[in-house]
Amino acid sequence: MKKLLSLVLAAAMALSMGACSSSGGSAASPAASGDAVEKYGSDTLKFYNWGEYIGEEVISNFEQEFGVKVVSEYFDSNEMMYTKLLAGDSYDVLVPSDYMIERLMKEDRLQKLDKSLIPNLENLCDGVKNLDYDPDNSYSVPYFWGNVGLVYNKTVVDPAEIEEKGYEILRDTKYKGRIYIYDSERDAFMTAFKALGYSMNAENEDEINEAYEWLKSINDTMEPAYVTDEVIDSMANGNKDIAVVYSGDAAYILEENEDMGFCMPKEGTNLWSDAMVIPANAQNPKLAHEFINYILSYDPSYDNSVTVGYASSNKDVLADLSAEDGEFYGNEAYLPRENYEKDEIFHDNETLKKKLSELWIKVKAAK
Amino acid sequence: MKSFRKLVYPYVIWAVIMIGIPMFMILLYAFTKDGNSVRNFVFTLDNFKRFFSDKVFIDVLKRSLNIAILTTVFCILFGYPAAYAMAKSRFKIQWVLLTTIPTWINMLVRTYAWRGMLDNKGLINGFLGMIGIGPIKMLETTFAVVLGMVYNFIPFMIIQIYNSLEKIDKSYFEAAADLGANRFQTFLRVTLPLSVPGIISGITLVFLPAVSSFFIPKLLGGGQYVLIGNVIENQFLTAGDWSFGSAISLIMAVIIIISMYITRQIDQKISPEGGNS
Repeated sequence: MKKLLSLVLAAAMALSMGACSSSGGSAASPAASGDAVEKYGSDTLKFYNWGEYIGEEVISNFEQEFGVKVVSEYFDSNEMMYTKLLAGDSYDVLVPSDYMIERLMKEDRLQKLDKSLIPNLENLCDGVKNLDYDPDNSYSVPYFWGNVGLVYNKTVVDPAEIEEKGYEILRDTKYKGRIYIYDSERDAFMTAFKALGYSMNAENEDEINEAYEWLKSINDTMEPAYVTDEVIDSMANGNKDIAVVYSGDAAYILEENEDMGFCMPKEGTNLWSDAMVIPANAQNPKLAHEFINYILSYDPSYDNSVTVGYASSNKDVLADLSAEDGEFYGNEAYLPRENYEKDEIFHDNETLKKKLSELWIKVKAAK
Repeated sequence: MKSFRKLVYPYVIWAVIMIGIPMFMILLYAFTKDGNSVRNFVFTLDNFKRFFSDKVFIDVLKRSLNIAILTTVFCILFGYPAAYAMAKSRFKIQWVLLTTIPTWINMLVRTYAWRGMLDNKGLINGFLGMIGIGPIKMLETTFAVVLGMVYNFIPFMIIQIYNSLEKIDKSYFEAAADLGANRFQTFLRVTLPLSVPGIISGITLVFLPAVSSFFIPKLLGGGQYVLIGNVIENQFLTAGDWSFGSAISLIMAVIIIISMYITRQIDQKISPEGGNS
C-alpha cells in the first residue's frame, strides 16, 4: 500500500512542473502613513518589476518621502508577468517590454495615464518617447531602453572584422565553441532575421524557415552555448569571445572587463524599451501615478541607471552619465543607437511567437 | 485509537487541493485544445500525436532518460560506499548531518555556484593553472550537467541506503561469520541483498527529479542539453501552449510510473524481504 502511495506521489511530483514564482517584500518604513491614506486612498503600492532592475535606494527613498509602503515582486520574463496578471493578481505598477505593452493595450488590461499627475514626462529623452506601440505615451512611461548587440573580446576578435561581418561572425567557424547565443526565441530569431536582411517582425513562411536554417547552421557547426543572464558574469570573466547581449548588460560587462568591446551590428538590431504601466485592476492608481512620476525624476533615474547599467529614459541622466566625467563615459554599449533605419521595435504577434518558440526549441534540441 | 483517525482529515483535504486538483487540471489540459480557457473545451489527442510524430521530441526524451540513468548510476556508485562507511562509522549522526546540510541551501544557488567553480577562470581551473594544466573546458559540457545532477541528488541516495543498512540486524553478520563466510562473501550475500530496498527507494528519489530537471541542464549545460523538463518549461512559460506542456508532463508521468513498477518488480525478486517494506 505504501508503495502504491509513493507511486502516486511520484507521479504528482512529475506533474507539478508548472510556473514557479518568487516574491520578496521590501522592508516597510514605519513612517506614519495616515497622510498617505488620506491623499492616495491607500498607503501600499504593489510594484512588479524585473529582478535586479532598480537602484538600491530608490524604493526606500520613495517610501520615506511619501510615507508609504512599497511591496515589490520580481519577474524574469514578460510571459511570467503576463501569466500572473492573467491569473488575476493585482499590481499597481508593472514594467513590461514594448511588445507586451502592445498586447496588454490590445486586451484592455491597462489604464490610461492621467498625464497631469506625471509632470516629469517632459524629462523623457526623444529616442524613447512616443514609440509606435504607444504613440503618445498615453499608457506607458519608459523606464529603461536599449539595443541588442555583440560583445566581443578585443584581444581575440579584430574590431574591424566584427564591424564588417556583423551577425555573420556568429557563423565563422574560426570561433567555434567560443560564442554565446541569447536563449530566447525572440532575440535568437531577431539576429537571424537581421543577418538575412529581413524584418524581425517577419510573417512570411519562407523567411521564417530561412531564419530557422540560419540558426540551425550555428547550432550544428559552432557549438554555441545558449544562455540568458549567465552571459553577464561569463563574459565579464572572459569565458568566451563573442556573445549576443542586451546593451545594458553589455555596458556592465564593459565596465567589468576592459578587454571587451561592443558592436552594434550594421544589419540593424532590436530597439527595445521597458516601460511603467498601470494595469486596469490596480488597487491604487493615484499612488501609482506618483510613483511613476518619482521614478522619472533625476535622482531615482540616475540611481537606477548607474546600478543596473541600462540606458535611462531621463534625458538629463542619459546625457550626464555618458558625458566626460560621467559613470559610463567611453562605454560604447551605454548609449543606445537612435534613428538608425534598420533598427526595429518588436511587435506583439502571438502566432509568430508560438511558431518561433517551437522552432527555437527544435534548433536547440537538435544535436 | 479511533478518535485519532480524524487527525488525518487535514492531510486528505490538503492532498486533494494540492495533488488531486492540479493532476486533474493537467489531465484536462492534455486532452483538450486551446490552453488557457477551461470553460469551453474540445477533446483531442493532437497533443500526443504531435509529440510522438516529431523526431526532435523523441530525441529529447531519449536524452533525458540517458542523463537521468547516468545520474542514477553514478549516485549508486558513489553513494553506496559512502552510506556503507557511514553505517560502520562511530560518528553516524555527524555524517548524516554533513550529508544533509547542503540540501538546506537552495538548489538553484548551489548549482549557480558550480558555474563559478567550473568556469574557465574559475576555482578548479585556477588551481589546475597553478600546477600548469589547463584551462580545461568543463562548463557547458555533459560532464558539468551530470556532475550538477549527481551533486544535487546524491544525498537522497546516501540517506536511503544508509537507513536500510542501519536496519540490518547485526546477528545476520554473526551468523554469516559462524557459517564460515569471509567479509566479502558476507557483504555480497547478506548486506547487499538486505540493502536493496534502500537502493530502490534511492533510485526513485534520484531518477525522478533527474529526468524532469530543467534548470541544472540549463545552467551548467549552457542550454545545449535540452531535456524534457526544458521543453515542458518552454511550453508553459514562453510558448504558452499549456495543453502541449500538460501532454508532455503526462507522458513523463506514465514513463515514470512504468519505470517505478519495473524497479519494484526487481526489488521483489532480489531482496529477501522485498515487497513488504
